[in-house]
Amino acid sequence: MLVEFELVRRAQHGDSEAFNNIVLAYRKRIMGTIGRLIARTEDVEDVAQEVFLRLYFSLDQLRAPEVFEPWLYRLTVNAAYDYLRKQRRRPEFRMSDLSEQQVMMADAAAGGKVEHDEQQQKKLRETVDSLLGAVSEADRVLLLMKEVEGLSLRELEKIYRVKENALKVRLFRARQRVLKAFETAEQKKQNG
Amino acid sequence: MYPMQGGDDKLESLWRAYRAACPDREPSANFMPGLWRRIESRRNFTFSFQRMVRGFVTVTAAVAIAIGVYVSLPRATPVTTVSYLEALADANALDTPEIVGPVRLDWNESGR
Repeated sequence: MLVEFELVRRAQHGDSEAFNNIVLAYRKRIMGTIGRLIARTEDVEDVAQEVFLRLYFSLDQLRAPEVFEPWLYRLTVNAAYDYLRKQRRRPEFRMSDLSEQQVMMADAAAGGKVEHDEQQQKKLRETVDSLLGAVSEADRVLLLMKEVEGLSLRELEKIYRVKENALKVRLFRARQRVLKAFETAEQKKQNG
Repeated sequence: MYPMQGGDDKLESLWRAYRAACPDREPSANFMPGLWRRIESRRNFTFSFQRMVRGFVTVTAAVAIAIGVYVSLPRATPVTTVSYLEALADANALDTPEIVGPVRLDWNESGR
C-alpha cells in the first residue's frame, strides 16, 4: 500500500484532502498501468482521471480499507476496458494487419534488440497493440495485467473476482492467440 | 502446459520490451485541477438530477394526494331524504287505477 489505511478511511468519510493525497500517491502508477493497457499515450491522463473520478464516487462502497488496492486496480481495469471498447470499432485482427516493419520490430523485441530511442519504442507499442488485436479487449487487459504489469494470479483473482482456474484458462487461450498471430506474421514475412 | 516453449520465450521477451517502451509517466500539472473540475461537474450534475427527481417525486405525491382526497369526498349529488319504501310507493301510487280501482260487479249478469 502506498498510503495508510487511515487515509483511505478519512477519504471514505468525505475528507477531500485525504482523497487528494491518495490521488497524489497513486496517480503515477495508475497512469503507467493505463499507458500499457491502452497503448495510446495521448489518452492516458484522461483515462486516469476517469479512474480517480470513479474512485471518488465509489469510495463509500469500499468494505474495508485493506482491499483498497485491488479495488483501485479493478476501477483501472474497468476504465481501460471501457476506453478500449469505445475505441474499438477496429475489425478483428487480420494477418495482414502487421506491416513488414512491425514484424521486424516484434522480432527485434522478442530477441531483446530494441533500441531505446523514442521512435523505436513508439513503433514497438504500435506493434504490440496490433498483435493484441488478436484477442478481445477483456483478454487484452487481463493478459497485460498478468504479463506486463506482473500481477500474480491471486492478485488478479481479487481484482476480477473470478476463480484462479478460470483465469488460467483464459490467459492460456489469449496467450496462444497472440502467439499464433505473431508466428503467422513472421511466416508471412519469411514467405513474402 | 504450453506446447510452444520457444514461442513463449519470444512472447516473454516481447512483453519485457513492451514494458520498457511504456514507462510510468509523470502526470501533467493540469492533472489535479482537471480531476477536481470533473468531480465538481459530476457532483453538480448529480445534485441537479437529484433535485429534479425530488421535485418530480414531490409533485407526483401531491397529485396522488389530491386525487385521493377528491375520490374520497362525497359526491355533490341531491340529498335523498325519502326511504326506499316511500320512493317505491311514489312510483306506484295507490290511486293507480289498475291496482286499486274499485272492483265492478255486474249483478244483473251474475243473477241471470
